[in-house]
Order: sequence, then structure tokens, then C-alpha cells
Amino acid sequence: MFLNRSEGFALALPAALFTFLVFLVPVGILLSAAFQAEPGVWSLQGYVDFFSESLNQSVFLRTLKLGILVAGTSAVIGYAAAFCIVNLPASSRGRIFGLVVLPLMISPVARTYAWIVILGRTGIVNDVIVGLGLSETPIRLLFTETAVFIGLLQLFLPLMIISLVSAMENIPRDVVPAARVLGASWFQVFFRVILPLTKEGLVIGGTLVFTGALTAYITPAILGGSKVLMLETLLYQKVNVSNDFVSASVIAMILIVMCFSANLVLKRIASVRS
Amino acid sequence: MTKYISILALSTALTATGAAAQEKLTISVYSFAQDAYKEVLYDPFEEMCGCELVIETGNSVERMAKIEANAADPVIDMAVISSHDALSLARKNLLQPIDTSRLQSFDKLYTAAQDPIGDNMAVGYTFYASSIVYRSDLVSIESWNDLLGEKLADNVALPNITGTQGPLTLMMLNKAEGGKPGEFAGTISAIGKHADDIVTFYSRSSELAQLMNQEEVIAAPVGRFAWSRFKSSPLPFAWAEPKEGQAGGMNVMIMTANNGNEDLAYKLMDYWLSTEVQTRIAEALIDSPANTEVKVSDEVAENLTYGAELINSLNILDPSVIIANRDAWVEQWNNEVIR
Amino acid sequence: MSRLTIWLILGTTLTFLIGPFLIVIFAGASAGETLTFPPQGLSLKWYAKVFTVESFRDSFALSMFLAIFGTLTALLIGIPAAYALNRYNLPGAEAIRTIVAAPIIVPGIIVGLALLRYFVVPLDVTITMALFVTHTALVLPYAVRVVSSSLNNLRADMEEAAVILGCTRFQAFVKVVLPNIRGGILAAFILGFVTSFNEVPASLFLSGPGVRTLPIDMLSYMEITFDPSVAALSALLAFMSVAIVFVAERLLGFSRYV
Repeated sequence: MFLNRSEGFALALPAALFTFLVFLVPVGILLSAAFQAEPGVWSLQGYVDFFSESLNQSVFLRTLKLGILVAGTSAVIGYAAAFCIVNLPASSRGRIFGLVVLPLMISPVARTYAWIVILGRTGIVNDVIVGLGLSETPIRLLFTETAVFIGLLQLFLPLMIISLVSAMENIPRDVVPAARVLGASWFQVFFRVILPLTKEGLVIGGTLVFTGALTAYITPAILGGSKVLMLETLLYQKVNVSNDFVSASVIAMILIVMCFSANLVLKRIASVRS
Repeated sequence: MTKYISILALSTALTATGAAAQEKLTISVYSFAQDAYKEVLYDPFEEMCGCELVIETGNSVERMAKIEANAADPVIDMAVISSHDALSLARKNLLQPIDTSRLQSFDKLYTAAQDPIGDNMAVGYTFYASSIVYRSDLVSIESWNDLLGEKLADNVALPNITGTQGPLTLMMLNKAEGGKPGEFAGTISAIGKHADDIVTFYSRSSELAQLMNQEEVIAAPVGRFAWSRFKSSPLPFAWAEPKEGQAGGMNVMIMTANNGNEDLAYKLMDYWLSTEVQTRIAEALIDSPANTEVKVSDEVAENLTYGAELINSLNILDPSVIIANRDAWVEQWNNEVIR
Repeated sequence: MSRLTIWLILGTTLTFLIGPFLIVIFAGASAGETLTFPPQGLSLKWYAKVFTVESFRDSFALSMFLAIFGTLTALLIGIPAAYALNRYNLPGAEAIRTIVAAPIIVPGIIVGLALLRYFVVPLDVTITMALFVTHTALVLPYAVRVVSSSLNNLRADMEEAAVILGCTRFQAFVKVVLPNIRGGILAAFILGFVTSFNEVPASLFLSGPGVRTLPIDMLSYMEITFDPSVAALSALLAFMSVAIVFVAERLLGFSRYV
């Protein structure tokens, strides 16, 4: 069809050029530091040094683990919630969707502080735990991986739901009931019908959530503190405290590679399924 | 509708640069107590000099990174930061020496504040003590060693190594253990052994105030400048006077190199150090004075780090020691404490 | 699925998502001095205080400006790009897609630092302009992705039919494509607006003397005091957002497109 390629390029050019000039060039210069042991000398020493430290290894693994957990959990909850939303009568659908979007509007700063209040020793969660006799004294939830996980999940779940809802909107209305009438179990309906038809949304949502979880700064900083470091908080420390731009660039490169890989892996999975 | 009008106004501001004819002085300060500062320092100064003050706020490290990034064309003319951050900037040749003859109150300053980092690269404007704040109904504190003791296990927070308070705590723990001054490796290892007993390593005193008000933490070392936040709480907080004494620190004024705005910067520094302004700042319970002629009531003094006797009794950590060792401390801390 | 199951799932999810928001509202209405829940008595004093803080007013206006015009600019260049990437079989389309998507995966701190050191300082760009450019770049990936996704689900033969029937490509775009991807554009705008409005790490380095975005201002305010006014401000901002979604729903029939 649309064979006029120069027209296509002309349309894509402003966005690509803009991003390239004001974004990729400065970031590229900064990141090139990750490949220079000293100015002008190219090497991978920065990476060797980075991974030779046990703290960095554990921070890397923790970041990867939390990213996958948050993306995976939000996909599970996201599918359930999105499926419910698209099956709502039109009148309540907009309102419910609005409620899903709502948390995104609240500053992550304030939402994260809210979790301090909720997960604290005098918070609601501990009130319930002690009230039910599960523990005699309030337990420490803040500054643990669990706290960071909860904070990140709450922060990014809406992105997954939004992506999946827009994808599910495009499933023809009668497909699912038809499959059910023909005797498919919910399990089959999900894997044979819903998943293949929404994989685009899952790829977008999964990438957004995983990337978001990896590059969030405020949540791990406030809920994890300096005891539960993630790559982003470690990076911040390198820039702000030690003025160590080489390590900072190395971490940034690692994060970028992780995000790209996540996107590729998800796309790959999506194409295999179909 | 006004929202849109202000947006329109802003979009014109995007293109219009430097339209203001008034002289401008850009300073970089701690984000602490800005409302009070505006009242006792900024507003009267603007009126006096007929100029405009542009205020940049943030914590020391962030502001330092910015001064470094803008070195070629300084945005900040004058800044107040911690003495070791000032020394770090001075060593990178980002500062210019201060001509003390242009500061009328210079001779009235405590000797320690006159040339704290050498070469007249900085002038101290405030001292603060650093000790342990604790819940007096739940625990009592006699020594810095109590921080790692049984009674505070699972209920104590320490300042992060990366902040200004972190090294001060190391110094006092080291002293309590009878370690060699300035050598903190053993202290960091000791903290590492107790890492699971420590709720968190905080980086902002406001964060600590919140944690303590929520009973997440019942004791932690903190700078005296944060005391008013604990004092106003309904919970019974007390300020420890450990047998090893209190730690102390100083914040200083610096002048960025080649900023081209020296005249106004000197005017502000001179005004800030004057007995009149230092007294007003002290009475507002913001910063403790570095000017020896400041006289305040006992009640005000109670909340500050005030008087030669107290200031001279503080345990001070040499800024050059911090700079020389910080990377090593952070590395050991990362491997043994946070792992 | 029964209605009960549907509402049970949605109820649980929404409690998790909205719960902290309710806590923020009530914590902001505390009569006490610190952020606690349940609040120590009820009072609107912190809500009132928000309006008396001068820096909140300035930073709110700046954040609004950045969020609205940054997102509009991103859509202005993002929609044509999304269209080109979906409808023209461009060689190197994947490369363009990757370039445009890049800002989303570069950690904000690195963005802020890189732009400060290698864009703002050497080119002597004003702080507001620097923030505007950064926010536009950060929002652009959302604009392109969401609009792309929307275009992807719109069958191309409709436009072809319009072209065959005598429309120019541009007319076909305006008359056929645009009305059909309105929901996607709106979703992209909302996502972009939110991303920009709440952005912290990149703006942290780029905010300059006297020019700060609202979240940065809130963060530094929290450094000064930990009173509940930040919670009150967050609640007010959330109410504003609800109003935006509500108006979007009313004006454009948002729910038909989501």
C-alpha cells in the first residue's frame, strides 16, 4: 500500500530528530563514559569493576527480581481487572476506568509516603496482624523488599491495566461467549483467545511496568531506604555522593540493556505464541 | 481561567530571558526553614540592597553537583554548604578566596569559623551539635555505644554514611569503642554485625522525625538543627548527653569562582554574619550563631548550639579527613553494612 | 463470570490502588502536626496552608505549563510519527521506533544529568526551556506508543477506501483516522500529562534557582517540615485530576474509547 516512503519519513522525522538531538546525543555522550576507563581510552573495565563487587551483584539481582515480580504480578492482576472492566456495562466502565487511572495522577512522592503510614509499626497492616494474634508485637515491614515490591506494584499496576483494557477493547464482543458456548474452559479461553488477541497490550504494559519498576527512584529510596538498594538508588548514590560518573554510566547502561531486553523478550514471547 | 493566564504568562517567559533590569544575586542554600529565612534575612536584604535574591535550595550534595556542572558559567554566586563539601569544591578550583576585609563582622566570629578549610575559601556562619535523640519513656541513653546495644535492637536508625551526619556518628562510635581517631574500619564492621538490628539508615532529618513520631524508631543520632521538630512532638523525646560528648559540625559560606557578582555576594555575606541578623536567625531558632557577639535568652539558647563553652566541647571531624576517606568508608559500608 | 466475581476482583484491585489515596486525603485533614493515619482529629488547616505557600503556586503553574504544552508538543510530533510507523512500510522503522522510545528507558537521573551537562550548559538554554524540552522528550514515547497501539487496531482499508473515493491522504487522515483514534490520543494525553506532572528524577538536576516543578517543590518542602500539607496538596491535585477525567468523559465520551 502506502509506497510513498519519503512522505513517511517526513512524518516520522520531527519526532526522531527531536529525540535524537535533545536526548540521545547528550545521553550518549554521558553514557560513553561507561566505556572509557579514562577519557579517550576505550575499555570494558568499568563493567568488570562493577560486577566484581558483591554489593553490586546483589543489587543487580535484587533489581531484576523485583522488576520481574512486579511485572508478573501486575500482569496477573491486570488481566483479571481488565477483563472485568471491559465486561462492565458502558455506564460504569468509564467511572471504574477513571478510578484505575486516578492513582497515576497522585504524585508518587505522596503515595510512597502513604505506604510508610500504612506499613509502619503503628499502621493499619500491623494493627490487623496484632489484632488477629498473628504476632505479639508489630513487625517491621518498612525498609524491606516486601515494602518496595508493594510500593512499586501499586505505582505501576494501572499502566498494565490501561494497556490491557485498550487491547481487550478490540476483541470482538462475541468471541469469548462463543468460545464458552463451544465448551472451552476459562483456562482455554484465556490462553487460546484472550492472550493471543491482547499480546500487543501485554507487551506494552509489561515493558512499561518492568521499565518503570527498574527506573523508579522515589519508591525504593523511601520504602527500601539505604538497606534495600536497587540499581537506580545505587546510581543516585554514585552521582550525588561519590561523583563517580563512570560507575553511574555503567549502571545506566545496565539498566538500559535490561529494559531493552525486557521489551525484546516480551515481543519474542508474543510472536511465538501466535 | 487564571490557570490558563498564568500558563500563557509562562510561555512568554520561555522566550523572554533576563528582562528584569534589577540586579540579581543567586544563592544556593539548605531547603531548611525557608519561610523563616525569608522573613529575617532575604526580605530585609532585598530592601536594603534594592536587588533581587534568587534562591536555590536542596541538600548539600545535590547543590554541589550542580555547582560543579555549571562551573564554566556559574549560575550560583554564593552558597552555604557543609565544611567538607566546601573543601571538596575548593580542591576542584570551583571557589574563590573570600576577601575577609569586606566582611565587617569577620573579627567577631568564633576563631574556628574564620578560616575553617584554609586559604580563606570559606567562612563559617553556624555551628551545630550532633547527638542522639531518643524516647525518654522507653529507653535511656548514656553512651554512643548504646546505639548498637541490646536495648535498641530493632528500634534504632543511623544516619547514612553518605550524608553529613553519618561520618559524625562513626566518629563518636569509634571514640566510644576507644578506637584510633579517624580510623573507622572497625566501627563500620561493628555496625555491619548489627545491620539486622538497625531499622534503616536515614538520609534526611525530616524523614527521621516522621519515623520517630510513628514509633518505628525510638533512638537515632541527629543534628541539633532538627531538634525543634522533635521538641514540638506530643511524644516524650529527649536529647542525649552521652559520656563521650556530642559531635559537632559547621556550615560555611562560599563564593563560586568567576561568578562576576562578587559585590552583591559580599554584601549578603556581610549582612548575614552581622550581629543583628545572626541574632534574628538565632531567635527564630533556625541556625545557631557563629558570631560571638550574639546574645540570646536562656530559653532560646536551650534550643541552639550556643556559647563558646558548648561549641568548644564538641567533637569535630576534620573536613579533610572526611574527603580523604569517604570513598573507602562508602565502599566498606556497602560491602559490610548494606551488602 | 458472575457479577459478584467481577465486582470482587475490581473491588480488591481498586482498594489496593485507591486505598493509599484515601489515606492521603485523611492524613491531610489531620489536626495533628505529622502525617499519621488515622489522623489526630480532623481539621482543614493543612488544606488551607497549601494555598498560602508561595512556592507551591509558582511550581504548580510551571508544572501545569510543562505537562500541558510538553504533552501537546509531543502529540504534535508523535502522532505523525506513529502514523508513519504504522502505515508506511518504512525501512528502518524499527530504528526510528527505538530512537523515539529511548527516553522512557533511560533512568531519569541520567537524563537530567546528561541534559544539564551536555545540552543546557553548552547551549546556554534557560531552565524553563530545558525542562520543557526534557518533559516533551520524556512524554513522546507514551504518545507514539499509545497512538501506535490505537492505529494498529484500526484497519487500514478504511483509509484506503477513502483515498479511492477521492480523499487526499491528509483528508483521509483527518476524516477517517483521527476520529477513530481519538480515544487513543486522549489516553496518550492523559498518560503524558501525568508522566510530566509527576516527573521527579530528571527535573531534580534541571530545576534551577527559583524554577522548580511541583513534585520537586513538594520533596524539598518535605525536607523542611514533615507536616501534612504535602498530603493535603496531593489530595487537591488528585481532585483536580478526577475533574479532568470527568470532563474528558463528558466532552469526549472517554469510556467509549478506553
